Parts: sequence; structure tokens; C-alpha cells
Amino acid sequence: MGQILFPNTMIWGVAKIFVLFGMAIYVVFGFVVVRQVKLMTDTLQLGFEGFIRLLSYVHLLFTIAVFIFALIIL
Amino acid sequence: MTDIFISQEKKPKEEMKENSPVEKEVKEMMGQTLPKKEFKSLIASYLRNPKGVDFEIKDKQEKIELLLRQHPITNLRWIILGTIMIFAPIVLKQFPIFDFLPSNYRFIVYLGWYLITGSFILENFLTWYFNVYIITDERIIDVDFYNLIYKDISQADADKIQDVNYQMGGVVRTIFNYGDVFIQTAAEKPNFEFLAVPKPDKVVKVLQDLIQEEKQEAIEGRIR
Repeated sequence: MGQILFPNTMIWGVAKIFVLFGMAIYVVFGFVVVRQVKLMTDTLQLGFEGFIRLLSYVHLLFTIAVFIFALIIL
Repeated sequence: MTDIFISQEKKPKEEMKENSPVEKEVKEMMGQTLPKKEFKSLIASYLRNPKGVDFEIKDKQEKIELLLRQHPITNLRWIILGTIMIFAPIVLKQFPIFDFLPSNYRFIVYLGWYLITGSFILENFLTWYFNVYIITDERIIDVDFYNLIYKDISQADADKIQDVNYQMGGVVRTIFNYGDVFIQTAAEKPNFEFLAVPKPDKVVKVLQDLIQEEKQEAIEGRIR
């Protein structure tokens, strides 16, 4: 079905570039979230800074992992 | 002999009874004193005399009277939306929407979806958690974080507070006991709005006590 609709493999190559570009932007967003959390925890210490920072780092790692995964399997 | 033992056991019980109303009040007002205190204080939105709380413009002698954030029920919308987003791929699997995609692309689409879902939940939680209103023994502070990296911290000294009132209307607000507190000041920022905060009546009471205390300090010449 996919081959009938998209006979040219070039299309998937272009799609891969778009997906990777989107993922790369998302990795940048992941870094922004980490920076944002640092700004927030520096401004306010509410007792759960470690946990909140951990969440932001997990989010960043997830974005990087998805980017690398997309790079490998696409 | 046994009577002595009984009386000794009764004494602490009586003490506990004496303390129990205080404990109840403290438990009601301070999330962190309840069992599972860590989780409770993580999601608490009304913290009286919170411990371990600090902010960058706090003076050394300053004491935090009240820490407020929006009532947890205000998070319901994004929590429901986040839950729908989590289960959406499972439901959508029943419909062949992405069948035209090769399996590896389909997998990345699902991963990307969960990435967006995770970010959505994290962003909403952070926005709620860090947008706080603080009442100290000297001033009121409104901490707002907009977008991703923009913050706005407004403050007014207690002696600049001119008028305090609150609004509470609607079914949900009445059931969950939360509302908006409006503070008019003679400071640079004339209006402070503590939106959707729990127990607005008690917040107003705390503010009134603070104003009274400041007036008393001014009369006695104890201004810091």
C-alpha cells in the first residue's frame, strides 16, 4: 500500500529529514525546559527542587533518546 | 500501685486532648504536617508558616506567614487532557489512520506523541507549582512565570496595603472553597490579585492581621 502511494523512496528520505529536524528542535526545547526549571528553582526554593530538576533532566534525556532512535531506525 | 500507672497513662492522654484542636487546625492549614507529608506539601496550595521555603529576594529576618498557589482543582482541565493524550494512541490503534506509514515511522510517531504529552504535563505542572503568592510578616509577593523563561516578581510592603477583599462565586468554587483575593496597595503595583486561592477568607484574615501588626509597629516605632 505504502509503495503504491509513495513509489519514490526519495519521499521517505525527505520525511526522515523533516522528522529529524523536528526532533532536533525538540531537543533544544528539552534544554530550554531544564534552563527554565533552574530559573524557577533559583527563584523559589519550595523543598522539592531535586525532584523537579530530575523531572526536567528525564524529559531532556527522553527527547535526546527519541532523536537518536529516530536517527537509527528511520 | 496499679492506680499510679493508670494516672500516669491518663496524663499524656489529657495532654493530647488539649493539643488535639491545635493539631487539627495545624493539620487543616498545613499540608506538611499530615501523614505522607512530603507528597501533601508537594501539592498543597495553602501552606501556613511553611518550613524549608525560601525565595531569592527574601530578607534574613523575614518570616513567611503564608504560601499560596492556585487550588489543585484548577489543574483538572490539563490533567484530563493529559490523560486523554496518554490513552489516545491506544484508542487510535483501532482505526487505521497511520497504516499508510511504514512501521518504523509509525513507531516514531507514537514516541513523538508521548514526548509531546510528557512536555505538556510537565509544563502545566511547573506553571502551577511555581506560580505562587507569598505573604511574609513584612510584605506580599506575587511570583509569576510566563511562557518558558520570563518571570515577573511583584511585591508590596505590608504598610502599603490599603484594601483587601475577596470574591468567591460559582458551584465549583463554593464546593472546593477557593476564590480570588484582591489587594489594593499604594506601592508601585497598585493591584495584586491572588487568583483561585484556597480559603480566601482566611487569606484575607491573615492580611488584615498583618496590616494591623504593621500599624501597631508604626505606632510603637518598631519599623524595620
